[in-house]
Amino acid sequence: MKVLCNRERLREGLAVVNSVVPAKSPKPVLSNVCMVATDDALELVGTDLEVAVRYRVEDVKVEDPGTTVIPARVTLDFVRDLSGETVEFAAAGGNCTITSGGDACELVTVDADEFPVVSRFGEDGSLSLQGGTFTKLVERTAFAAAREQGRYAMHGVLIEIDDDKLKMVATDGRRLAVASAPIDLSGAPAPEHATIVPTKGMQLFCRVITDPLDQVRLAFEENQLGLRTRNAEVFARLLDGEFPRYSAVIPKEVGNALEADGDHLQRKIRLVANVTGDEARAVRLSVKKGKLELFGQSAGRGEATAHMDVEYKGRSADIAFNPDYVVDGLKNAERELVRLEFNDKSSPGKFTLGEDYVYVVMPITMDV
Amino acid sequence: MARGGEESGLGQAEAIIRPLPELVRNQIAAGEVIERPASVVKELFENALDAGAREVRVDLEEGGVRLVRVADDGRGMGPADLRLAFAPHATSKLRAVDDLDHIATLGFRGEALASIGSVARCRIYSRPAAELLGWAVENEGGRVSEPRETGGPAGTHVEVRDLFYNTPARRRFLKRTATELGRCLDVIQRLTLAHDELGVAATHDGRRVLDVEAGMGFRERIRRVFGAELADALEPVEARDGDTVLTGFVAPPRFARADTSRQLWLLNGRPVRDKVLIRVLREGFRGHLEHGRHPAAFLRLAMDPARVDVNVHPAKAEIRLRDERRTFGFLVNALREALRRSDMATPGQVLLDRAARRDPAPGATLPDPGPLRRPDPRERPGDDELRVYEVPGRPLELREREDAGPAGAAPAPPGTEPADPAGGWAASDDVRGPFVVVDRTYIVRALPDGLEIVDQHALHERVTFEELKAELERGPLEVQRRLVPELVEVTRAEARRLEEHLPALESAGLCFSVFGPTTIAVQGLPVRLRRPGPEELVRVVLDLIERTGRVPEGVALLEEVLHSAACRGSVMAGDTLSQDEIESLLRRAARIPEAQTCPHGRPTRVRFAKLDLEKAFHRK
Ligand SMILES: Nc1ncnc2c1ncn2[C@@H]1O[C@H](COP(=O)(O)OP(=O)(O)O)[C@@H](O)[C@H]1O
Ligand SMILES: [Mg+2]
Repeated sequence: MKVLCNRERLREGLAVVNSVVPAKSPKPVLSNVCMVATDDALELVGTDLEVAVRYRVEDVKVEDPGTTVIPARVTLDFVRDLSGETVEFAAAGGNCTITSGGDACELVTVDADEFPVVSRFGEDGSLSLQGGTFTKLVERTAFAAAREQGRYAMHGVLIEIDDDKLKMVATDGRRLAVASAPIDLSGAPAPEHATIVPTKGMQLFCRVITDPLDQVRLAFEENQLGLRTRNAEVFARLLDGEFPRYSAVIPKEVGNALEADGDHLQRKIRLVANVTGDEARAVRLSVKKGKLELFGQSAGRGEATAHMDVEYKGRSADIAFNPDYVVDGLKNAERELVRLEFNDKSSPGKFTLGEDYVYVVMPITMDV
Repeated sequence: MARGGEESGLGQAEAIIRPLPELVRNQIAAGEVIERPASVVKELFENALDAGAREVRVDLEEGGVRLVRVADDGRGMGPADLRLAFAPHATSKLRAVDDLDHIATLGFRGEALASIGSVARCRIYSRPAAELLGWAVENEGGRVSEPRETGGPAGTHVEVRDLFYNTPARRRFLKRTATELGRCLDVIQRLTLAHDELGVAATHDGRRVLDVEAGMGFRERIRRVFGAELADALEPVEARDGDTVLTGFVAPPRFARADTSRQLWLLNGRPVRDKVLIRVLREGFRGHLEHGRHPAAFLRLAMDPARVDVNVHPAKAEIRLRDERRTFGFLVNALREALRRSDMATPGQVLLDRAARRDPAPGATLPDPGPLRRPDPRERPGDDELRVYEVPGRPLELREREDAGPAGAAPAPPGTEPADPAGGWAASDDVRGPFVVVDRTYIVRALPDGLEIVDQHALHERVTFEELKAELERGPLEVQRRLVPELVEVTRAEARRLEEHLPALESAGLCFSVFGPTTIAVQGLPVRLRRPGPEELVRVVLDLIERTGRVPEGVALLEEVLHSAACRGSVMAGDTLSQDEIESLLRRAARIPEAQTCPHGRPTRVRFAKLDLEKAFHRK
């Protein structure tokens, strides 16, 4: 194999692959990048078996097609620190030489047959949407996915197609984010299986969407979700298991409703949260006609109070939340005016943060 | 069985009940008072004290079985007294029944010497200070010789040889030499610690085992008796409640032992061994001791004699407090407070010593009596030692502790560094990394003058526990409710078992419900309880029910849960803490004075001072 590449393009590709390559793995071959040079293209492939990426490097000249497998990290580091504009890869007889100007390094290659097979993106039945739509939905939901504990199925984002809309849902059991956006289905069938994508996969999808205005394609397959951009194909293995029946936990009828400026509310919450400890995380919201009072307190530090004007319908009421949870949602609010609806201090609070964006947070109670 | 016919004539005339010969009577009495060499030591030592001795010397051979000799410089006895000393119920300390109410002496029954005399070969030599000559009497199995004149120093020497030589059954009850010796030493140590004014020297088989000069203070006495390591770690206790005054010292939990030999209670100056007081100590150290360990503490309790009964049975010293609840509470609080101040981290030195001892041990069972030379009692340990033992306790008491700390210490104005009292590392330790983590468990970090190893599981357990406990003390726990309950699969029997205990679990913020015949739904958990997770919690609680058949409420439940989780290694199983998380854990710990041991008494941290390192590398 022999290829000439633009150094900057190559570096970008290697960086994407390295975001997949596991730092430590029981399968050492996974710490490598697989470089496939065909007549007109160079592809970089990396996987940790949960997610996989195929990245097409532009501006290459293939002199001799072939495949070589070399350590991903070292290759990226070396290429990044080179100063020439072009880089040449030449693999032969168990070695791969990287040259740029007068600088060179020689790496021992790994048998290409050992590298796992990574599928190709199937155009059939795939649907097209704007990259920015996809990343926006991920931003609005993925933060709510479970991280350490909880049901396996909650460690990812549920993707559904519903009413000509692409919908994403994530929950860690304490809060739930649901966001959707209209897309052009143009006849593509809705997936038959629940599609739960692990958070890492979602991050990688977003990583390869470099231009929000570009169209990307999504392919729902039986056990993986594929996404194709101009340069990359990314596959994420789906999570097994049952995602909670989320629609059941979104409160339908609520007695108390307040509307407030989202930024303002976020600032006030942060303000009083300064006194709550690292671990104790409750900020109490107390609403009366047109007024919202916020309290934060911690035994060791003291207490804080803040006030703001709100639109409020309902009786005087109190509810306490983990301020981090509320802020996580407010940060992604789509519009200035946000809405909080709840029934009482021990039932869920429903934040409406945009046209198609609902965020439900379970309160913290202090009297069991 | 032959009928009594043949001998009946004789038998009817003579009574079957006969008075026992005096020797046998005394031997039976001795059974109560003199059980083993240590009892002899106690009686003789107390006689010396009653005689106003300022110096007492005790010589032992073969654990005291072969010889107990107690020599004093007290008031002594003349020949007339010597003639009576071995007589039963002969005493100089009690004349009339009324005297019983105000006895100031340790003995008063006059039966000790009589008892001892009946089961051993004894000799008393004595000379009152005013006389020019002394006198001696011997007693061999109850036969007392006439006093004869001999020369010698003023005071009394009582020698007791071959204990139980004439009562082989009793002799068989004696334990190994080392055990008997240990008991004798225990008696000597307690009496030595109890009497500041007294000089005491003791030998065993010619080897000196204790040496305390007259006038040495309490701490110095402890140092001589139990060694410098313990003495240097002691934290003074001083508390008063009305006319009840508690003074003395407690040692950090790492000095706890399987027995109570490092516990001393002096009630109005007298050593007492009493269940209530043992309980006081256990309660005071609660949460810092591993199961079955007894803390080291040396305490003097002074109180109005009218408020306490001391049962002066010679073999025991039990007390009864009039106002037990109040006194109990007062004592426990005073101990806790002192304990919090003490340095609970295990100094690296101890580990080094232990490692050194792992090499061929010198087999001695005796406590280290300390230096052989007799330094000035007021002498401080060397400069280096001061640094090892007195400074290392403080590295984590950094600014934050002062900020959030106990009342009294005014917070430093913002922007000013607190003064550095020890001239050591106290002020400059800011709990910053980098941290090295070994085996996902041990956090190693540099201190300004040494290094520290922290058991992250134990520390996390302690920190979480203390925070939750504090929160519970202020009111109900903050509970993060779940939108989607966490479902945990269990067996039918387990679900049923758990169901009975749901209210108790709820009292600790563990909101479970039964969701189906084999499903438990976790509906909410205390906000602070990040780990263990729901699944693990259900498991831990089920274990607990299985083991103990019940679920304690509130704090006690949380303590159990956190501890079992920590023991199962599940508190942070699989969690590699980031540098920031470690820092945050250490910061939280810094705010908690108890954070030096886990709630079950395992240490959370071990510290190596620079000196320890220097020693380890033989630079010093
Ligand atoms: N070391 C001693 N110095 C002076 N007198 C002693 C000494 N030991 C014993 N005696 C005298 O012998 C008496 C009997 O001692 P003991 O049998 O122990 O009875 P108690 O101590 O109960 O009086 C004491 O009352 C005391 O007068
Ligand atoms: Mg006596």
